[in-house]
Amino acid sequence: MANVEFLPQFPIPDNPFALFGILLLAGALAGELVRRVLNLPRITGYVLIGLTLGASGLNLLDTRMFDYMRVFFDIGLGLVLFELGRRLDLNWLRHDRWLAVLALAECLLSFGSMFTVLLWFGIEPLYATVAAAIGVSSSPAIVMLVARELKAEGQITERALNLVAINSVTAFVLTTMLLSWIHHEYHASWLIALLHPFYILVGSFYAGFLASVLVLMLARWLGKQVELHLTLLLAMIIFLVGAAEALKLSVLMTLLTFGVLVRNMDQDHALMSVDLGSFGQAFFIVLFVATGAMLRIDNLITGFGVAAGYIAARFVGKSIGVMCFAHLSGIRAGSGGLLSIALLPMSGVALAMTYSAGKFYPAFNEKLSAIVLAAALILELIGPLAVQFALRSAKEARTAT
Amino acid sequence: MGVELELQILNSHDYNLSRDAVDLLALLEKIGHPGAIKPEITESMIELNSSVHSNYEALLVELRQIRDTVVRAAAQLNLRIAGGGSHPFHDWSERRIYPTERFRHLLEVYGYLAKQFTVFGQHIHIGCPDGDAALYLTHILSRYVPHFIALSASSPFQQGTDTGFQSSRLNTVSAFPLSGSMPFLQKWDNFVAYFEKMRGFHIVESMKDFYWDVRPKPDYGTVEIRVLDTPLTVERAALLAAYAQTLAYYALVKRPLQVSEDMYLVYKYNRFQACRYGFDANYADVHARRQISLQRDILGTLELLSPYSARLNTRKALDVLHADASMRRGDAAWLREAHRKFGSLNDVARCQSEEWAGRHTLISAQA
Repeated sequence: MANVEFLPQFPIPDNPFALFGILLLAGALAGELVRRVLNLPRITGYVLIGLTLGASGLNLLDTRMFDYMRVFFDIGLGLVLFELGRRLDLNWLRHDRWLAVLALAECLLSFGSMFTVLLWFGIEPLYATVAAAIGVSSSPAIVMLVARELKAEGQITERALNLVAINSVTAFVLTTMLLSWIHHEYHASWLIALLHPFYILVGSFYAGFLASVLVLMLARWLGKQVELHLTLLLAMIIFLVGAAEALKLSVLMTLLTFGVLVRNMDQDHALMSVDLGSFGQAFFIVLFVATGAMLRIDNLITGFGVAAGYIAARFVGKSIGVMCFAHLSGIRAGSGGLLSIALLPMSGVALAMTYSAGKFYPAFNEKLSAIVLAAALILELIGPLAVQFALRSAKEARTAT
Repeated sequence: MGVELELQILNSHDYNLSRDAVDLLALLEKIGHPGAIKPEITESMIELNSSVHSNYEALLVELRQIRDTVVRAAAQLNLRIAGGGSHPFHDWSERRIYPTERFRHLLEVYGYLAKQFTVFGQHIHIGCPDGDAALYLTHILSRYVPHFIALSASSPFQQGTDTGFQSSRLNTVSAFPLSGSMPFLQKWDNFVAYFEKMRGFHIVESMKDFYWDVRPKPDYGTVEIRVLDTPLTVERAALLAAYAQTLAYYALVKRPLQVSEDMYLVYKYNRFQACRYGFDANYADVHARRQISLQRDILGTLELLSPYSARLNTRKALDVLHADASMRRGDAAWLREAHRKFGSLNDVARCQSEEWAGRHTLISAQA
């Protein structure tokens, strides 16, 4: 028999690039379809196609594919978090102290109310605490992308983005510190229980810090050239995603730190404010399709009651925090409610946190997922609608007319 | 005299124009402020009005108070305020009309011109004893329009490029059908008849609809000079008001020159030269029947005004302008210097906002 090794063997092996292309195309088409037929945000379409292709639907994206997908997921998330970090303006918090108070109140109240509700549902304190900490986060990806799709601009949009950044940092620091408790629960040594969160927090922060210093130095040397600054940022973002993974740090925290510091340390305005959007768009789409594929409908069926309680508690906590202080923080009367609605989504970051919180203990991961993922699924679907509604009602979306 | 200043509202991340006029005005209303603060045609602009002053130093004190209040309120919304006749790189098609009946009507009438009208000017009101005097002053000030253009020019950049002009803002104004200069009428009765005729044709409803460079404003009993770019600082705005006040005083008390239709033969030429070249412009002097450099005409006029400035207590202000004119210093040059130094127009807009806030830390092309 002739040697036909030059031909591909069956079954055709998986290929990450082909997968990326398929996810991207499927996402883009589904997004457009959802927009045209249902007049919903494109993001909802990306998530729906992910659900359809994933374990809950046709199961074309099985667990083997998940490892490939994680790469795209992380790059997408890295880009989003960097962009978000760059929007967090520490100066603003100094000029408008009430905004800082509002952020603090909204984090604390949502944490408290979620924790209480979960306990009431009979969840053990450890799980209730970790889930509540994750719930403090708001989805940077959804808020940023809906704002971008609507070309929204104004006080509600800016405040929502800054609050999302603060929420993400708070949620991340909380869940990381809770690693100690998880380790303790599973009888790891005290040393590990203390060192692990310390390593992640300090390491991620330091990596982001070093990257910022380096990028600012290079930007100064390059001078004001848009293309070069764009390349510089992309290179550093992708490198950092990889480096954080290799060093077992948090991709999330590293990129967020990088974004925050590269802006707030740039005293002499060396770095131009380049738009990563056109490059990022492809990764953003895949990020949502992948998120959709990772969510599972069966979680929803078993955990609907808890998820509904968790979401309600989260929304109530955040709303009370926002509404109590919105009028003190230089905002139009009546727009506090819209701001709370814009903070509703919670997803990609929550998924990543759930994954990393329980990485070492599969049993823990399973129990936590049961609580968080059902809520993530619901919010992933209604989140984009909520943000779209809030920004349109605030008249900050740029309409076609 | 009184001063109106149209200002830019910028965001603080890339220093593009923002759209927060509604929120900013609401906040200012809540916290209270001196003077008057009003919306302008697009949501990226606000207008500050001083009260009526006879002393330019008192005017400056008030302008500084209004500025500080507005800058502080803007910071609370994470916004920046900037002077300057144009925003260096905004895209006019992204502008949104401020939601009032009048501005919506203007958008309907003027189409894209309304959005392109996102340029920023300083208007100076000078009180007049009566209608005939106001018409005399309006005509005689047209001789000095190039002075005000050159001394205030601060719009070298438009839509992301260096226009080569010192004041590119006035080109935007010229596109409007009712811009330019007032018809040559010398008696108030004739002027009223002209206005009624125009209203009869349904071309205008009020004096507001004439976008003339210098126009009488009967509601206030003033003549309003409208050719100035908003300067980069309130200090300069006050200097220019002092110059206008002294010049008007000299013109009305001394009646040094005859007004004639010939003044309008050279008017557009002189105006264009001043916009394009600033102090280096050619200036056609109708009364002396010669051409000289605009810089020399300005310096000559400032020297001529010296006895009157002593009476009005504007001597110091005129001395500063004299020094600037002899050095050819001005805001347009300052902006170009900022661009050379920092390399991007975002930085230019940022420098504009820092200069406006009174933090003169970056460059000192200006004394």
